[in-house]
Amino acid sequence: MSILQKRWMSLAVGLLVAAVALPAQAGVFPQCPTRDPAPGSPVVYGSWFSDVNGDGMLRAGDGEIINPVSPAQVCVHLAAGDGFTNMADGREQYIFGFVNATGFNAPAMNEPWDAVMMGYMEKAQFPAPTLTFREGDEVYLSLTNVGMINRPDLFDPHSVHWHGFPNAAAIFDGVPDASIVINMGSTLTYYYKVVEAGTFMYHCHVEATEHMQMGMLGNLYVSPAQDGTTFGPFSRFAYNDGDGSTGYDVAYPLQIASFDPVFHEKHIGVQPLPFADMDDKYPMLNGRGYPDTVNPALALPYEHGGSSPIPALISATSGQKILLRVSSLSTTSFHTLTVQGIPMQVIGKGSRKLGLPGDASQYYTTGSITLGGGQSMDVLLDTTGIQPGTYFLYTTNLDHLANEADDFGGMMTEIRIQ
Amino acid sequence: MNKLFQHRILRSLTLAAALLCCAASAALAMHGSVAVPGVAGSDFSFTARAGHITTGDGNNVYFWGYANADGAVQYPGPTLIVNQNAVVTIRLVSRLPEATSLIVPGFSVSASGGQPGLLTREAPPDGVTAVTYTFTADRPGTFTYYSGTHSDLQVEMGLLGAIVIRPANFDAADPLLRTAYGDARSAYDQEYLYLLSEMDLETHILAEKGLFSEIDTTKFWPVYWFINGRTAPDTMLADEVSWLPHQPYGAMTMMNAGERVLLRMVGGGRDMHPFHTHGNNFDQIARDGWLLATPGDTGTRTAEVGVIPDKSVSDFTLTVVPGATHDAIFTWTGRGLGWDFYGHADADPATLAPNECPGGLLDPLCDHGKPFPVILPGQQEVAFGAFYSGSPFLGAAGSLPPGEGGNNPNSGFAYMWHSHNEKEMTNNDIFPGGLMTMAIVEAPSAPVVVAP
Repeated sequence: MSILQKRWMSLAVGLLVAAVALPAQAGVFPQCPTRDPAPGSPVVYGSWFSDVNGDGMLRAGDGEIINPVSPAQVCVHLAAGDGFTNMADGREQYIFGFVNATGFNAPAMNEPWDAVMMGYMEKAQFPAPTLTFREGDEVYLSLTNVGMINRPDLFDPHSVHWHGFPNAAAIFDGVPDASIVINMGSTLTYYYKVVEAGTFMYHCHVEATEHMQMGMLGNLYVSPAQDGTTFGPFSRFAYNDGDGSTGYDVAYPLQIASFDPVFHEKHIGVQPLPFADMDDKYPMLNGRGYPDTVNPALALPYEHGGSSPIPALISATSGQKILLRVSSLSTTSFHTLTVQGIPMQVIGKGSRKLGLPGDASQYYTTGSITLGGGQSMDVLLDTTGIQPGTYFLYTTNLDHLANEADDFGGMMTEIRIQ
Repeated sequence: MNKLFQHRILRSLTLAAALLCCAASAALAMHGSVAVPGVAGSDFSFTARAGHITTGDGNNVYFWGYANADGAVQYPGPTLIVNQNAVVTIRLVSRLPEATSLIVPGFSVSASGGQPGLLTREAPPDGVTAVTYTFTADRPGTFTYYSGTHSDLQVEMGLLGAIVIRPANFDAADPLLRTAYGDARSAYDQEYLYLLSEMDLETHILAEKGLFSEIDTTKFWPVYWFINGRTAPDTMLADEVSWLPHQPYGAMTMMNAGERVLLRMVGGGRDMHPFHTHGNNFDQIARDGWLLATPGDTGTRTAEVGVIPDKSVSDFTLTVVPGATHDAIFTWTGRGLGWDFYGHADADPATLAPNECPGGLLDPLCDHGKPFPVILPGQQEVAFGAFYSGSPFLGAAGSLPPGEGGNNPNSGFAYMWHSHNEKEMTNNDIFPGGLMTMAIVEAPSAPVVVAP
């Protein structure tokens, strides 16, 4: 490239940056852009709508967005703040976390958007709301930082890091060192054009060791474009496999996470945080220790509403194929999971199918899988010939089969075959 | 670290720009290719002795390491850059309080001199008597070496290192022959080493005091985690900075969009580490110096750019196993983001950046001219990262409040590469630090590095 060309390019880039620079938003401002179909109409960024079907997202395909900018548009509004949850032995833990605020349609309620601050303060959930998207979605994910009312001495920003997003742009990657993260009382809207199916995860990346130990972790997965086509008995698949080899009847996300109660108690006590001594004593699946994992209720019988609304009980009828979307966001250690009595077929890893489409030769069958923090695996359980009954899925790191001092708990759940 | 880092980077970039203005002609040959730093050759003379390393929290930690020839003792030991089929000899003497040795897993090593030991012959702690190890580097790849004596203590103390064996047909100047394993499946533009390790501070304090009887390596509780012997933020400093004389190797990773980056990952300690690459998945292409390929495969599998072995495994977080090595190819193209990350205002083909839309303007993954999709918050509503350019676009700088940004002079896209057992991103109770570095994808117009 000649010097002239280079100069021309930098000038062009400079002008273009100026051209697209839009007025800055202020305060709580979730974005679900719309555009009137009349030619020449401008994009309106501040639109919002009612979550008619209550699935925690606005989806153009469900008719929930009027005049969407794309037929594949999806809008989600998360709030990030603090709250409390309970461990399976009843112990209360102070947490940081996310909560789904998509249903808060301020314009329709004649409320100012700032009302989100009061409405979602101290409402954090652990784990974060599960986010499920479809390949091809264009996602506008707005994050409002509602602050940590129990730690008024803190001014922490928060972020959403879509862990594993392919060819991520730094501006939407949620890493505080690499771009921007949102302060209390304001909203940052992330945009993701979802080009790949797979099992991902998301978490806050601000002061990552602390905010992740405190609970800002959630399941996130994307169903493939192949869904809805038919291969044999299957119309739902983990990946675009081309041959139905990742087809399943029922799917369950399972996320490994664990808490160090000392860390959480020092935190609410406004004490120096024990990073070097971090030692998790509450190993969990989807934010619950056994036996809470098999409680089918969304609300557990504890005082605080932040207790995990995500059961980890796995149910199927004999002969069905179960897809486990397993991920780990442990901040301290590797975990091995095993299923007693049902072989585990690993078909994907790191949000990618093993082997190319049409090639199932790189799948493997095993009795256990091992995941460190930030890893995911897709496992099929074929229950053909499996007798009805209860089968256990648990960690073979046996010291993690406990809810702190209570044995026979921790990172375990049941697979109930009928 | 900001000011120092900025200063060094700017200086090296100025130098790079000066070189490039005279040397570069074709647009895509503008930038050079980074090679793993180390000592090249086949005859090495090591002395094992003690020293002190610096950690990101300002601590000085007593360690044992290898020094090559007259060089400083270092952590990790010198990275040996060896040609395939070379007969490699490593002569070792010990100036430690105890005998020591060196083993090279994966090769048939013969030892002579010194004194007998359990795994191999050892150098007694007299500082004079040498043991000599000899092996033929009969295959290319990434390998490791470490102490074979009292290993639970000596590896913890720092006696470990990496070996890179270049394939017989290697030619750094020829993109077709700049490979890890001899053919296109392992071809690369940039090459980086990530030797991951950890330290239990208590052990090092007791060793420095000579209280060896009080050391209990079964009570292992690491509080420092390293890439190439440095904790963050020192990982992001240049190689061989003067103020880290015993930690010569950095891990700051830089590439252009669309380049193939070879990651040579080595498990150097005793814990597994889940190493996460922000920005994109990588394809693991080899383990312990063996390609993940069916015999006879010549590159039947297409990667995002180029080809990879047919049994490669894609992932976003790799389990780096102690004593093992893992090679991967990483590429960031930015394709399919849904907006033009160069910030072009329209789809005029004349404004296409090099390699922006290799599939043409009609390719669904081509985003040329597509507008930025959201409104970003105002400056007072966000916290800024030191690697933020002030603009969401590649190679474009925006305005930043005074004192913000500054670590990203070419306005690349920055990504954090780190252990995802997030506890390991700390330096002895202090966040951030530890097993973390940054990777920067530069705009095509930016010089990445000085050509070798």
